[in-house]
Amino acid sequence: MLSDIAFYGALETGLIYGLVAFGIYISFRVLDFPDLTVDGSFPLGAAVAAVLIIGGWDPWLATGMAILAGMAAGAVTALLNVKLNILNLLASILTMIALYSVNLRIMGRPNIALLTEETVLTPWYELDLAFHQVPVLLFAIVALLVLVLLWRFMKSETGLAMRATGANPRMARAQGIATGGMIVLGVALSNGLVGLAGALFAQSQGAADVTMGVGVIVIGLASLIGGEAVLTPSTVVRALFACLIGAIVYRLAIALALNADFIGLKAQDLNLVTAVLVTLAIVLPGVRTKLTHRFSRKQA
Amino acid sequence: MISATDLKLTFGKGTPLENPALQGMSLTVNQGEFVTVIGSNGAGKSTFLNALAGEVLVDSGKIVVDNQDVTRLPTHKRANSVARVFQDPLAGTCENLSIEENLALAIKRGQRRGLTSAVKKQYMEKFSDSLSSLNLGLENRLGDKMGLLSGGQRQAVSLLMASLTPSSILLLDEHTAALDPKTARFVLELTEHIIASQRLTALMVTHSMKQALEVGSRTVMLHQGEVVFDIAGKDRDGLEVKDLLGLFEKQRGLTVDDDSLLLG
Repeated sequence: MLSDIAFYGALETGLIYGLVAFGIYISFRVLDFPDLTVDGSFPLGAAVAAVLIIGGWDPWLATGMAILAGMAAGAVTALLNVKLNILNLLASILTMIALYSVNLRIMGRPNIALLTEETVLTPWYELDLAFHQVPVLLFAIVALLVLVLLWRFMKSETGLAMRATGANPRMARAQGIATGGMIVLGVALSNGLVGLAGALFAQSQGAADVTMGVGVIVIGLASLIGGEAVLTPSTVVRALFACLIGAIVYRLAIALALNADFIGLKAQDLNLVTAVLVTLAIVLPGVRTKLTHRFSRKQA
Repeated sequence: MISATDLKLTFGKGTPLENPALQGMSLTVNQGEFVTVIGSNGAGKSTFLNALAGEVLVDSGKIVVDNQDVTRLPTHKRANSVARVFQDPLAGTCENLSIEENLALAIKRGQRRGLTSAVKKQYMEKFSDSLSSLNLGLENRLGDKMGLLSGGQRQAVSLLMASLTPSSILLLDEHTAALDPKTARFVLELTEHIIASQRLTALMVTHSMKQALEVGSRTVMLHQGEVVFDIAGKDRDGLEVKDLLGLFEKQRGLTVDDDSLLLG
């Protein structure tokens, strides 16, 4: 049903959006901070990496700077909320809007092509693998590395303090946790990961574009919610795997929907399909429990 | 030692809902004292506790804990010297975290938190020892989510968490009020036991005059954001609820009309 290229392509973008889903997990789930900055920090990461790469920087160093840029964007959102008491959602929208201009300034033009540049992927093409398998291998390594680091962090003293901040801020303060600082750190971390995703996406797609962030939040949320529907996130490590699995399943579902001729969907239907999938992911777990309830009542 | 001097705090200043919660509150609690605080609704009990904890900052006055002026410090910067148990059993713990994770949060109260693992092996003995003193079998459920515990169990764990590391004062905000009578008695006995065995300095707000006289070594009554009377030692021994009411009427020329205060 899916060609090899479409399948690996879905895996590749799925792994990148897995990083976005990690970021959204930190803001939405750990901190309970609905953060839409990601629509701006994703292209920010791409823009920073692209500009530095064409400026002759080492691609990994450029990617590192993209992470820092993403973290700075997240910190701005969090500070608007913590220091100026702007509602979290509104603060993130303000940063997101501002980043559109910032991204245009950074790139100096709406898009930058990277097709002929050396990227983080270049050395990996020497491996004895098919062209479309290379990014999947590299991004899988990156995603798993990030997963392990995040898991260790969430189990650390600081990570636990961050989880308490989101779950019960009054209790966290009583335990001596500076909840404002934790929100800044967490939202910065979250957007740093999204910046990383943007940088990798630009390098694998061969271009950075100022509009590439549109809808990233929806795709990330779809991955998060979908993953949680598949894998109940009862522990941190399960929640992190849910992000990754959700992102991959989501991209595969999209690829399948668009490639299956008998459904008759075309590329322009992508956003509609996304909205339908997100709705299903939100509604289905509820329907499932309702059905099992009804079933067990009949048996009794 | 903790001392509050002439605390004043008005909520919603300049609005129709202006509410002078503290109107010159002064109280000094000495090392090792267990003070019970009573007062009708709106007397300023909770506001006073919140002011001591740092949840609200006073308009004027001074709060000194162990010779350090903490008047302007936010909650988290006072947490090394102030421990607290809330009225709501759900407020003192995180339901999504396990019992051991909650205890691990509390064992670092007011200290720097790093990147080392939060739940450390060396804590385990202390955790299970203190949990087994509750006789609730929780020492075998360290990995269970806090949300699986009943309100009374969670309040008992909150108390343990508050006493896991030393503090200059333990604030108890009507911490048995939301529990059924039997569980409330259990938590109250546990409170007395912990305070006595660790020689803690404590301030307990209660709604019940009977409870205020039965436990602790000193009783303070608040009315309209001020201390109306403050009794300890011989004056307090053998005192009954009706004596307290007499005391209140003598001081204020008022009668207590808050039923819950009389019946509790």
